[in-house]
Amino acid sequence: MAGITDLGVGIGWRSEIDLTVERLPGVDFVEVVAENLHIGHLPESVTLLLERGIPVLPHAVSLSLGGADEVDLKRVQHLGEIAEAVGAPMVSDHVCFVRAGGLDSGHLMPVPRTKDALDVLVANVRLAQRNLPVPLALENVAALLEWPDGELSEGQFLAELVERTDCWLLVDVANLYANARNIGTDPERFLDEIPLERLAYVHVAGGEQHGDVYHDTHAHAVLPEVLGVLDELCSRVRPPGVLLERDDNYPSDTEIASELAAIRAVVDKHRG
Amino acid sequence: MIEGNDLSAARKRLAAQQAELLNALLAKGPVPTGFDEQRIAVERRALLSKRRGIARMLGPAVADELGDRFRPLFDAYAVENPRRAGSRAREDAAAFAEWCRASGELSVNRKARWKFWQSN
Repeated sequence: MAGITDLGVGIGWRSEIDLTVERLPGVDFVEVVAENLHIGHLPESVTLLLERGIPVLPHAVSLSLGGADEVDLKRVQHLGEIAEAVGAPMVSDHVCFVRAGGLDSGHLMPVPRTKDALDVLVANVRLAQRNLPVPLALENVAALLEWPDGELSEGQFLAELVERTDCWLLVDVANLYANARNIGTDPERFLDEIPLERLAYVHVAGGEQHGDVYHDTHAHAVLPEVLGVLDELCSRVRPPGVLLERDDNYPSDTEIASELAAIRAVVDKHRG
Repeated sequence: MIEGNDLSAARKRLAAQQAELLNALLAKGPVPTGFDEQRIAVERRALLSKRRGIARMLGPAVADELGDRFRPLFDAYAVENPRRAGSRAREDAAAFAEWCRASGELSVNRKARWKFWQSN
């Protein structure tokens, strides 16, 4: 796929760190949260990055593709319009649901790993794909709880999803680490089971341990253990891109730069 | 490929499961069968904390005025008023401010700054 083969190292663009993102060295691409942008009113900072030739990839959080309802085409259309406005090679959302029973969780909730949930997810993803101008990548989420009666491992579930929809995967190694800590997912088994040839890119983020629960906060430093999962992934496949997500409690430019450098060091270690 | 009746039956079963879980997490509903109660409690706190943080960010003046009362009041408001599908975070922050005014916790002379709020 043109444009997705070598994204490099990137960072999630957020309005709070727009100037930081603009002046940081070594930002090869950025992601924008699609729901925060409006057609015809792109932030100046995003336009500046586009003028520099930096790829901008819209990342959605509200399609609720794993939800029981048919996907909301207005939300899909908005995502597609943002993709066209920034000339993106790809868009993404998550394998999750956010709405059910008339309520909004306000967060990305895991779906049960059952045949029912997979069939519904596949139907929703196909409908979204038919209504998007560019390929769709789907991300594994961090879960604090496990649904009962799962029929597949998380890796198997995603492999089935790819098989049936031809979607791409956005692997979040921090979410993988969180699930290892919180619900006992085996990251190596996960990486063995997913089709790595469909890897679009990788997310890395920080979090913190609270008692016996690891919270994927995107507001703390990236743990060495999360870079360890990235290292494990890179030992199997060269990821087309790796992107740092930071959403709150923003540190200095120097600290962000050093996190990006640490990510690049892991990726480069495996380049022969 | 699954189509028609099979898919719509799967959607119905999934809808019931997901609604039951969100009801437990957001609206004091019973813990659905098969879930770990402690994990439900952890998730409940995490969702509440995220929602509270967003309300604080969107309505810093309200949070400042409430001071130490912000957290307990927000938590009481939140469980009484789970966020409705399709609502916006700004509407939530505005509804919380109205809820506080209605219960006398916030001064009422402050004009409502959010025009999109609707009672629910």
